Amino acid sequence: MIDQAVRTFVALAGEVGLHYDFLLSPSEVRPWIAGMGTTLLLVLLAIPLSLAAGVAFAAALTSGRPWLAGPVRAYVELTRNTPTLVQLMFAFFALNMLLSKALGGAANNPFTPFFWVVAVTGLHIAAFHAEALRGGIEAVPAAMVETAHAIGFSSFEVLRYVTLPLALRTAMPAIVNNLVNLVKLTTIGSAIAVGEVTYASIMIWTQRDNVLELMIVILLFFGFINTVLSQIGRYVERRLAVPGYGV
Amino acid sequence: MSTAALPARGRAALGPAWAWLALVAAGFLLWTVLDARLARDLLDWLPYLASGFAMNILISVLAMSAGTLAGVTLGAMELSASRLVRAPAVAYVQVFRNAPHLVLIFATTYIFPFEIVVAGNYLPFPDWLKAVFGLAIPASAYVAEIVRGAIQSVPTTQWDAAKGVGMSRGQTLRWIILPQCLRRALPPWMNLYASITMSTALASLVGVHELLHAATDASTAVRRDDFTIAVYLTVLAAFFLFCFPISRLTRRLERRFAPR
Repeated sequence: MIDQAVRTFVALAGEVGLHYDFLLSPSEVRPWIAGMGTTLLLVLLAIPLSLAAGVAFAAALTSGRPWLAGPVRAYVELTRNTPTLVQLMFAFFALNMLLSKALGGAANNPFTPFFWVVAVTGLHIAAFHAEALRGGIEAVPAAMVETAHAIGFSSFEVLRYVTLPLALRTAMPAIVNNLVNLVKLTTIGSAIAVGEVTYASIMIWTQRDNVLELMIVILLFFGFINTVLSQIGRYVERRLAVPGYGV
Repeated sequence: MSTAALPARGRAALGPAWAWLALVAAGFLLWTVLDARLARDLLDWLPYLASGFAMNILISVLAMSAGTLAGVTLGAMELSASRLVRAPAVAYVQVFRNAPHLVLIFATTYIFPFEIVVAGNYLPFPDWLKAVFGLAIPASAYVAEIVRGAIQSVPTTQWDAAKGVGMSRGQTLRWIILPQCLRRALPPWMNLYASITMSTALASLVGVHELLHAATDASTAVRRDDFTIAVYLTVLAAFFLFCFPISRLTRRLERRFAPR
Protein backbone atom coordinates (compact mmCIF):
# COMPACT_ATOMS: atom_id res chain seq x y z
CA MET A 1 0.00 0.00 0.00
CA ILE A 2 2.82 2.38 0.89
CA ASP A 3 4.47 1.36 -2.38
CA GLN A 4 1.34 2.29 -4.27
CA ALA A 5 1.08 5.65 -2.49
CA VAL A 6 4.72 6.47 -3.26
CA ARG A 7 4.22 5.54 -6.92
CA THR A 8 1.14 7.79 -7.14
CA PHE A 9 3.03 10.64 -5.47
CA VAL A 10 6.01 10.30 -7.85
CA ALA A 11 3.64 10.30 -10.83
CA LEU A 12 1.72 13.35 -9.55
CA ALA A 13 4.93 15.27 -8.77
CA GLY A 14 6.20 14.37 -12.24
CA GLU A 15 3.11 16.01 -13.71
CA VAL A 16 4.13 19.38 -12.25
CA GLY A 17 7.79 18.88 -13.22
CA LEU A 18 9.24 17.72 -9.89
CA HIS A 19 11.39 14.60 -10.10
CA TYR A 20 11.02 12.40 -7.04
CA ASP A 21 11.96 9.22 -8.97
CA PHE A 22 14.63 8.34 -6.42
CA LEU A 23 11.85 7.40 -3.98
CA LEU A 24 11.29 4.28 -6.11
CA SER A 25 14.89 3.11 -5.72
CA PRO A 26 15.37 1.42 -2.32
CA SER A 27 19.17 1.74 -2.44
CA GLU A 28 18.80 5.54 -2.55
CA VAL A 29 15.82 5.93 -0.25
CA ARG A 30 17.26 3.87 2.59
CA PRO A 31 20.34 6.05 3.32
CA TRP A 32 18.15 9.13 2.86
CA ILE A 33 15.62 8.01 5.48
CA ALA A 34 18.56 7.00 7.67
CA GLY A 35 19.86 10.55 7.22
CA MET A 36 16.65 11.95 8.69
CA GLY A 37 17.08 9.52 11.58
CA THR A 38 20.66 10.71 12.09
CA THR A 39 19.52 14.35 12.17
CA LEU A 40 16.89 13.48 14.78
CA LEU A 41 19.46 11.57 16.83
CA LEU A 42 21.91 14.51 16.63
CA VAL A 43 19.16 16.82 17.84
CA LEU A 44 18.03 14.47 20.63
CA LEU A 45 21.60 14.16 21.97
CA ALA A 46 22.68 17.77 21.49
CA ILE A 47 19.61 19.31 23.19
CA PRO A 48 20.18 17.72 26.64
CA LEU A 49 23.92 18.41 26.36
CA SER A 50 23.29 22.08 25.58
CA LEU A 51 20.81 22.42 28.46
CA ALA A 52 23.05 20.71 31.03
CA ALA A 53 26.13 22.66 29.98
CA GLY A 54 24.11 25.88 29.75
CA VAL A 55 22.90 25.53 33.35
CA ALA A 56 26.44 24.75 34.53
CA PHE A 57 27.85 27.78 32.68
CA ALA A 58 25.11 30.05 34.03
CA ALA A 59 25.83 28.80 37.57
CA ALA A 60 29.53 29.58 37.07
CA LEU A 61 28.80 33.04 35.61
CA THR A 62 26.62 34.03 38.56
CA SER A 63 28.74 32.32 41.24
CA GLY A 64 30.52 35.55 42.15
CA ARG A 65 33.86 33.71 42.11
CA PRO A 66 36.22 35.38 39.61
CA TRP A 67 38.29 32.22 39.04
CA LEU A 68 35.13 30.39 37.97
CA ALA A 69 33.21 33.17 36.22
CA GLY A 70 36.27 34.50 34.35
CA PRO A 71 37.16 31.49 32.20
CA VAL A 72 33.49 30.66 31.54
CA ARG A 73 32.78 34.26 30.47
CA ALA A 74 35.83 34.10 28.17
CA TYR A 75 34.55 30.78 26.73
CA VAL A 76 31.07 32.23 26.19
CA GLU A 77 32.46 35.27 24.34
CA LEU A 78 34.79 33.13 22.21
CA THR A 79 32.00 30.73 21.26
CA ARG A 80 29.40 33.37 20.49
CA ASN A 81 31.73 35.38 18.27
CA THR A 82 33.24 32.69 16.06
CA PRO A 83 31.51 30.57 13.37
CA THR A 84 30.34 27.15 14.53
CA LEU A 85 31.64 25.57 11.32
CA VAL A 86 35.15 26.83 12.08
CA GLN A 87 34.85 25.48 15.63
CA LEU A 88 33.82 22.13 14.20
CA MET A 89 36.73 22.11 11.73
CA PHE A 90 39.12 23.06 14.52
CA ALA A 91 37.73 20.36 16.82
CA PHE A 92 37.79 17.70 14.13
CA PHE A 93 41.01 18.49 12.28
CA ALA A 94 43.07 19.78 15.22
CA LEU A 95 41.76 18.39 18.53
CA ASN A 96 40.70 15.05 17.08
CA MET A 97 44.05 14.68 15.33
CA LEU A 98 45.93 15.41 18.57
CA LEU A 99 43.74 12.86 20.37
CA SER A 100 44.44 10.25 17.71
CA LYS A 101 48.17 10.91 18.08
CA ALA A 102 47.99 10.63 21.86
CA LEU A 103 46.01 7.38 21.67
CA GLY A 104 48.38 5.83 19.12
CA GLY A 105 46.61 6.03 15.76
CA ALA A 106 43.16 6.89 14.45
CA ALA A 107 42.06 3.27 14.92
CA ASN A 108 42.27 3.68 18.71
CA ASN A 109 40.37 6.95 18.74
CA PRO A 110 36.83 6.36 20.03
CA PHE A 111 35.65 9.85 19.01
CA THR A 112 33.68 9.76 15.77
CA PRO A 113 32.67 12.74 13.57
CA PHE A 114 29.17 12.21 14.97
CA PHE A 115 30.51 12.78 18.49
CA TRP A 116 32.23 16.03 17.46
CA VAL A 117 29.07 17.42 15.86
CA VAL A 118 27.05 16.75 19.02
CA ALA A 119 29.79 18.18 21.24
CA VAL A 120 30.49 21.32 19.19
CA THR A 121 26.86 22.27 18.42
CA GLY A 122 25.71 21.39 21.95
CA LEU A 123 28.45 23.38 23.69
CA HIS A 124 28.05 26.27 21.23
CA ILE A 125 24.34 26.64 22.01
CA ALA A 126 25.08 26.12 25.73
CA ALA A 127 26.85 29.50 25.69
CA PHE A 128 23.64 31.11 24.45
CA HIS A 129 21.55 29.28 27.08
CA ALA A 130 24.01 30.46 29.73
CA GLU A 131 23.52 34.10 28.73
CA ALA A 132 19.73 33.74 28.80
CA LEU A 133 19.78 31.98 32.19
CA ARG A 134 22.26 34.48 33.65
CA GLY A 135 19.86 37.27 32.74
CA GLY A 136 17.06 35.36 34.45
CA ILE A 137 19.11 34.65 37.57
CA GLU A 138 20.15 38.29 37.90
CA ALA A 139 16.53 39.35 37.46
CA VAL A 140 15.44 37.47 40.60
CA PRO A 141 14.73 40.14 43.25
CA ALA A 142 17.67 40.48 45.65
CA ALA A 143 15.33 40.34 48.63
CA MET A 144 14.25 36.83 47.64
CA VAL A 145 17.86 35.62 47.53
CA GLU A 146 18.65 37.29 50.85
CA THR A 147 15.60 35.68 52.44
CA ALA A 148 16.72 32.26 51.23
CA HIS A 149 20.19 32.83 52.68
CA ALA A 150 18.64 34.04 55.92
CA ILE A 151 16.63 30.85 56.44
CA GLY A 152 19.86 28.85 56.04
CA PHE A 153 20.09 27.95 52.32
CA SER A 154 23.63 27.47 51.02
CA SER A 155 24.66 29.20 47.79
CA PHE A 156 24.03 25.97 45.88
CA GLU A 157 20.62 25.51 47.45
CA VAL A 158 19.68 29.09 46.59
CA LEU A 159 20.58 28.35 42.98
CA ARG A 160 18.86 24.96 42.93
CA TYR A 161 15.62 25.90 44.70
CA VAL A 162 15.21 29.66 44.24
CA THR A 163 17.03 31.45 41.44
CA LEU A 164 17.38 28.72 38.79
CA PRO A 165 13.70 27.65 38.79
CA LEU A 166 12.65 31.28 38.38
CA ALA A 167 15.36 31.97 35.78
CA LEU A 168 14.26 28.93 33.75
CA ARG A 169 10.82 30.47 33.47
CA THR A 170 11.95 33.90 32.33
CA ALA A 171 14.54 32.38 29.96
CA MET A 172 12.18 29.85 28.36
CA PRO A 173 11.41 31.82 25.15
CA ALA A 174 15.12 32.52 24.58
CA ILE A 175 16.02 28.88 25.28
CA VAL A 176 13.46 27.59 22.77
CA ASN A 177 14.82 30.07 20.23
CA ASN A 178 18.35 28.75 20.88
CA LEU A 179 17.15 25.16 20.45
CA VAL A 180 15.62 26.03 17.07
CA ASN A 181 19.04 27.38 16.09
CA LEU A 182 20.64 24.19 17.41
CA VAL A 183 18.44 22.08 15.14
CA LYS A 184 19.52 24.19 12.15
CA LEU A 185 23.18 24.01 13.20
CA THR A 186 23.30 20.21 13.02
CA THR A 187 23.44 20.56 9.21
CA ILE A 188 27.14 21.53 9.49
CA GLY A 189 27.75 17.85 10.25
CA SER A 190 27.67 17.34 6.49
CA ALA A 191 31.04 19.18 6.35
CA ILE A 192 32.77 16.25 8.08
CA ALA A 193 30.74 13.53 6.36
CA VAL A 194 28.24 12.80 9.13
CA GLY A 195 25.38 11.20 7.21
CA GLU A 196 22.61 13.53 8.36
CA VAL A 197 19.77 14.61 6.10
CA THR A 198 21.69 17.31 4.20
CA TYR A 199 24.62 14.99 3.53
CA ALA A 200 22.31 12.17 2.42
CA SER A 201 20.50 14.59 0.11
CA ILE A 202 23.77 15.79 -1.44
CA MET A 203 24.54 12.15 -2.26
CA ILE A 204 21.24 11.91 -4.16
CA TRP A 205 21.25 15.24 -6.00
CA THR A 206 24.82 14.83 -7.25
CA GLN A 207 23.51 11.71 -9.08
CA ARG A 208 20.10 12.94 -10.17
CA ASP A 209 20.36 16.73 -10.30
CA ASN A 210 17.08 17.20 -8.44
CA VAL A 211 18.21 19.84 -5.92
CA LEU A 212 14.93 21.76 -5.81
CA GLU A 213 12.89 18.64 -5.05
CA LEU A 214 15.14 17.59 -2.16
CA MET A 215 15.38 21.16 -0.91
CA ILE A 216 11.60 21.31 -0.52
CA VAL A 217 11.67 18.13 1.57
CA ILE A 218 14.59 19.34 3.71
CA LEU A 219 12.88 22.68 4.42
CA LEU A 220 9.63 20.87 5.33
CA PHE A 221 11.59 18.46 7.53
CA PHE A 222 13.32 21.24 9.49
CA GLY A 223 10.11 23.26 9.56
CA PHE A 224 8.38 20.25 11.11
CA ILE A 225 11.06 19.63 13.78
CA ASN A 226 11.13 23.31 14.72
CA THR A 227 7.34 23.58 14.87
CA VAL A 228 7.21 20.58 17.21
CA LEU A 229 10.01 22.10 19.29
CA SER A 230 8.23 25.46 19.56
CA GLN A 231 4.99 23.73 20.55
CA ILE A 232 6.75 21.74 23.28
CA GLY A 233 8.43 24.96 24.43
CA ARG A 234 5.11 26.78 24.60
CA TYR A 235 3.51 23.85 26.50
CA VAL A 236 6.36 23.72 29.05
CA GLU A 237 6.21 27.49 29.43
CA ARG A 238 2.48 27.32 30.20
CA ARG A 239 2.90 24.42 32.62
CA LEU A 240 5.72 26.13 34.50
CA ALA A 241 4.12 29.56 34.64
CA VAL A 242 3.96 30.97 38.17
CA PRO A 243 0.84 33.13 38.47
CA GLY A 244 1.84 36.70 39.23
CA TYR A 245 5.57 36.26 38.57
CA GLY A 246 7.16 37.93 35.57
CA VAL A 247 5.22 39.40 32.69
CA MET B 1 21.83 58.33 38.86
CA SER B 2 20.91 54.83 37.83
CA THR B 3 21.89 55.59 34.23
CA ALA B 4 25.43 56.41 35.33
CA ALA B 5 25.73 53.16 37.27
CA LEU B 6 24.60 50.94 34.40
CA PRO B 7 27.59 51.06 31.99
CA ALA B 8 29.99 50.55 34.88
CA ARG B 9 28.23 47.36 35.90
CA GLY B 10 28.26 46.12 32.32
CA ARG B 11 31.99 46.58 32.05
CA ALA B 12 32.58 44.86 35.38
CA ALA B 13 30.64 41.84 34.11
CA LEU B 14 33.41 41.12 31.62
CA GLY B 15 36.17 42.03 34.11
CA PRO B 16 38.01 38.76 34.82
CA ALA B 17 37.20 37.47 31.33
CA TRP B 18 39.44 40.12 29.75
CA ALA B 19 42.37 38.59 31.59
CA TRP B 20 41.48 35.11 30.31
CA LEU B 21 40.95 36.28 26.74
CA ALA B 22 44.32 38.06 26.90
CA LEU B 23 45.90 34.89 28.29
CA VAL B 24 44.57 32.82 25.37
CA ALA B 25 45.84 35.39 22.87
CA ALA B 26 49.24 35.65 24.58
CA GLY B 27 49.62 31.86 24.63
CA PHE B 28 48.95 31.69 20.89
CA LEU B 29 51.37 34.54 20.13
CA LEU B 30 54.07 33.07 22.36
CA TRP B 31 53.74 29.71 20.60
CA THR B 32 54.26 31.23 17.14
CA VAL B 33 57.11 33.46 18.37
CA LEU B 34 58.96 30.55 19.99
CA ASP B 35 58.59 28.34 16.92
CA ALA B 36 60.35 30.27 14.13
CA ARG B 37 59.42 27.81 11.38
CA LEU B 38 55.75 27.98 12.29
CA ALA B 39 55.85 31.78 12.41
CA ARG B 40 57.48 31.92 8.97
CA ASP B 41 54.93 29.55 7.42
CA LEU B 42 52.04 31.45 8.96
CA LEU B 43 53.43 34.77 7.68
CA ASP B 44 53.86 33.25 4.21
CA TRP B 45 50.22 32.23 4.12
CA LEU B 46 48.86 35.37 5.78
CA PRO B 47 48.19 37.33 2.52
CA TYR B 48 46.33 34.32 1.10
CA LEU B 49 44.26 34.02 4.28
CA ALA B 50 43.61 37.78 4.26
CA SER B 51 42.28 37.62 0.70
CA GLY B 52 39.93 34.91 1.92
CA PHE B 53 38.69 37.01 4.81
CA ALA B 54 38.07 39.96 2.47
CA MET B 55 35.65 37.66 0.63
CA ASN B 56 33.85 36.86 3.90
CA ILE B 57 33.37 40.56 4.57
CA LEU B 58 32.27 41.26 0.99
CA ILE B 59 29.68 38.47 1.12
CA SER B 60 28.40 39.58 4.53
CA VAL B 61 28.05 43.25 3.51
CA LEU B 62 26.25 42.45 0.25
CA ALA B 63 24.00 39.82 1.85
CA MET B 64 23.09 42.17 4.68
CA SER B 65 22.38 45.09 2.31
CA ALA B 66 20.14 42.99 0.10
CA GLY B 67 18.55 41.35 3.15
CA THR B 68 17.83 44.71 4.75
CA LEU B 69 16.20 46.14 1.62
CA ALA B 70 14.00 43.07 1.18
CA GLY B 71 13.42 42.72 4.93
CA VAL B 72 12.13 46.28 5.41
CA THR B 73 9.63 45.68 2.61
CA LEU B 74 8.58 42.32 4.06
CA GLY B 75 8.29 43.77 7.55
CA ALA B 76 6.00 46.52 6.30
CA MET B 77 3.97 43.91 4.38
CA GLU B 78 3.59 41.86 7.58
CA LEU B 79 1.79 44.84 9.14
CA SER B 80 -0.46 45.50 6.18
CA ALA B 81 -4.20 45.69 6.83
CA SER B 82 -4.86 43.48 3.81
CA ARG B 83 -4.55 39.74 4.35
CA LEU B 84 -3.59 39.30 0.72
CA VAL B 85 -0.43 41.34 1.31
CA ARG B 86 0.21 40.04 4.83
CA ALA B 87 -0.07 36.29 4.25
CA PRO B 88 2.78 35.78 1.74
CA ALA B 89 5.16 37.89 3.85
CA VAL B 90 4.29 35.97 7.03
CA ALA B 91 4.72 32.63 5.23
CA TYR B 92 8.07 33.69 3.74
CA VAL B 93 9.41 34.79 7.13
CA GLN B 94 8.15 31.63 8.82
CA VAL B 95 9.74 29.29 6.26
CA PHE B 96 13.12 30.97 5.94
CA ARG B 97 13.65 31.67 9.62
CA ASN B 98 13.33 27.94 10.24
CA ALA B 99 15.64 27.00 7.34
CA PRO B 100 19.30 26.17 8.05
CA HIS B 101 21.65 28.71 6.42
CA LEU B 102 23.77 25.91 5.00
CA VAL B 103 20.78 24.40 3.22
CA LEU B 104 19.89 27.78 1.69
CA ILE B 105 23.47 28.25 0.47
CA PHE B 106 23.36 24.79 -1.13
CA ALA B 107 20.00 25.67 -2.66
CA THR B 108 21.10 28.91 -4.30
CA THR B 109 24.42 27.42 -5.42
CA TYR B 110 22.90 24.45 -7.20
CA ILE B 111 19.60 25.89 -8.39
CA PHE B 112 20.84 29.19 -9.85
CA PRO B 113 22.49 28.92 -13.29
CA PHE B 114 26.26 29.47 -13.61
CA GLU B 115 25.70 32.28 -16.09
CA ILE B 116 22.83 34.57 -16.92
CA VAL B 117 21.88 36.12 -20.24
CA VAL B 118 21.30 39.86 -20.17
CA ALA B 119 20.41 41.36 -23.56
CA GLY B 120 22.30 38.66 -25.42
CA ASN B 121 25.42 38.92 -23.25
CA TYR B 122 26.48 35.94 -21.17
CA LEU B 123 27.34 37.20 -17.71
CA PRO B 124 29.03 34.79 -15.30
CA PHE B 125 27.13 34.12 -12.07
CA PRO B 126 29.96 33.13 -9.69
CA ASP B 127 29.49 30.92 -6.64
CA TRP B 128 30.31 33.69 -4.19
CA LEU B 129 27.44 35.79 -5.54
CA LYS B 130 25.12 32.82 -5.16
CA ALA B 131 26.27 32.54 -1.53
CA VAL B 132 25.32 36.22 -1.12
CA PHE B 133 21.77 35.34 -2.18
CA GLY B 134 21.81 32.23 0.00
CA LEU B 135 22.50 34.39 3.06
CA ALA B 136 20.36 37.35 1.96
CA ILE B 137 17.26 35.12 2.12
CA PRO B 138 17.47 34.30 5.85
CA ALA B 139 18.77 37.84 6.54
CA SER B 140 15.65 39.33 4.93
CA ALA B 141 13.40 37.05 7.01
CA TYR B 142 15.13 38.13 10.24
CA VAL B 143 15.16 41.84 9.25
CA ALA B 144 11.43 41.58 8.54
CA GLU B 145 10.82 40.39 12.11
CA ILE B 146 13.08 43.12 13.52
CA VAL B 147 11.26 45.81 11.53
CA ARG B 148 7.84 44.45 12.46
CA GLY B 149 8.77 44.39 16.15
CA ALA B 150 10.24 47.89 16.02
CA ILE B 151 7.18 49.41 14.36
CA GLN B 152 4.78 47.60 16.70
CA SER B 153 6.74 48.76 19.74
CA VAL B 154 5.63 52.36 19.10
CA PRO B 155 2.11 52.84 20.52
CA THR B 156 -0.39 54.01 17.89
CA THR B 157 -1.56 56.74 20.26
CA GLN B 158 1.65 58.61 19.42
CA TRP B 159 0.31 59.13 15.87
CA ASP B 160 -2.83 60.68 17.33
CA ALA B 161 -0.82 62.79 19.78
CA ALA B 162 1.43 64.10 17.00
CA LYS B 163 -1.63 64.94 14.92
CA GLY B 164 -3.01 66.72 17.96
CA VAL B 165 -0.04 69.08 18.11
CA GLY B 166 -0.45 69.79 14.40
CA MET B 167 2.11 67.52 12.72
CA SER B 168 1.49 66.04 9.28
CA ARG B 169 1.75 62.27 8.71
CA GLY B 170 5.16 62.69 7.07
CA GLN B 171 6.42 64.83 9.92
CA THR B 172 5.14 62.36 12.48
CA LEU B 173 6.89 59.52 10.72
CA ARG B 174 10.15 61.46 10.35
CA TRP B 175 10.38 63.04 13.81
CA ILE B 176 8.36 60.80 16.14
CA ILE B 177 8.01 57.23 14.85
CA LEU B 178 11.19 56.47 12.87
CA PRO B 179 13.68 57.64 15.54
CA GLN B 180 12.08 55.26 18.03
CA CYS B 181 11.97 52.41 15.51
CA LEU B 182 15.66 52.87 14.71
CA ARG B 183 16.59 52.69 18.39
CA ARG B 184 14.66 49.44 18.78
CA ALA B 185 15.92 47.92 15.56
CA LEU B 186 19.61 48.86 15.57
CA PRO B 187 20.93 46.45 18.26
CA PRO B 188 19.21 43.31 16.87
CA TRP B 189 20.17 44.38 13.35
CA MET B 190 23.83 44.54 14.38
CA ASN B 191 23.55 41.15 16.07
CA LEU B 192 22.15 39.80 12.83
CA TYR B 193 25.06 41.30 10.87
CA ALA B 194 27.56 39.53 13.14
CA SER B 195 25.60 36.29 12.78
CA ILE B 196 25.49 36.58 8.97
CA THR B 197 29.24 37.31 8.92
CA MET B 198 29.87 34.10 10.84
CA SER B 199 27.59 32.21 8.45
CA THR B 200 29.75 33.28 5.48
CA ALA B 201 32.17 30.54 6.57
CA LEU B 202 29.53 28.08 5.29
CA ALA B 203 30.28 29.27 1.74
CA SER B 204 33.55 27.32 1.93
CA LEU B 205 31.46 24.14 1.65
CA VAL B 206 30.29 25.10 -1.85
CA GLY B 207 33.82 26.00 -2.94
CA VAL B 208 33.86 29.78 -2.46
CA HIS B 209 37.38 31.04 -1.79
CA GLU B 210 36.89 32.57 1.65
CA LEU B 211 38.87 32.35 4.91
CA LEU B 212 37.97 28.82 6.00
CA HIS B 213 38.53 27.54 2.48
CA ALA B 214 41.91 29.32 2.36
CA ALA B 215 42.84 27.77 5.71
CA THR B 216 42.00 24.28 4.44
CA ASP B 217 44.09 24.96 1.31
CA ALA B 218 47.02 26.12 3.45
CA SER B 219 46.75 23.17 5.80
CA THR B 220 46.71 20.62 2.96
CA ALA B 221 49.64 22.38 1.24
CA VAL B 222 51.91 22.55 4.29
CA ARG B 223 50.81 19.20 5.76
CA ARG B 224 52.17 19.74 9.25
CA ASP B 225 50.15 19.18 12.41
CA ASP B 226 51.33 22.27 14.27
CA PHE B 227 50.59 24.42 11.22
CA THR B 228 47.09 22.93 10.86
CA ILE B 229 46.30 23.83 14.45
CA ALA B 230 47.80 27.31 14.12
CA VAL B 231 46.01 28.10 10.88
CA TYR B 232 42.58 27.12 12.23
CA LEU B 233 43.29 29.15 15.37
CA THR B 234 44.10 32.09 13.08
CA VAL B 235 40.70 31.69 11.40
CA LEU B 236 38.96 31.65 14.79
CA ALA B 237 40.94 34.73 15.84
CA ALA B 238 40.06 36.64 12.65
CA PHE B 239 36.33 36.06 13.08
CA PHE B 240 36.54 36.85 16.78
CA LEU B 241 38.41 40.12 16.25
CA PHE B 242 35.78 41.16 13.69
CA CYS B 243 32.62 40.04 15.52
CA PHE B 244 33.50 40.68 19.16
CA PRO B 245 33.70 44.50 18.86
CA ILE B 246 30.34 44.46 17.05
CA SER B 247 28.76 42.43 19.84
CA ARG B 248 30.26 44.69 22.55
CA LEU B 249 28.98 47.78 20.76
CA THR B 250 25.57 46.14 20.38
CA ARG B 251 25.35 45.48 24.10
CA ARG B 252 26.35 49.06 24.84
CA LEU B 253 23.65 50.40 22.53
CA GLU B 254 21.10 48.01 24.05
CA ARG B 255 21.83 49.44 27.47
CA ARG B 256 21.72 53.02 26.23
CA PHE B 257 18.46 52.56 24.32
CA ALA B 258 16.80 50.46 27.04
CA PRO B 259 13.45 51.94 28.05
CA ARG B 260 13.72 53.41 31.51
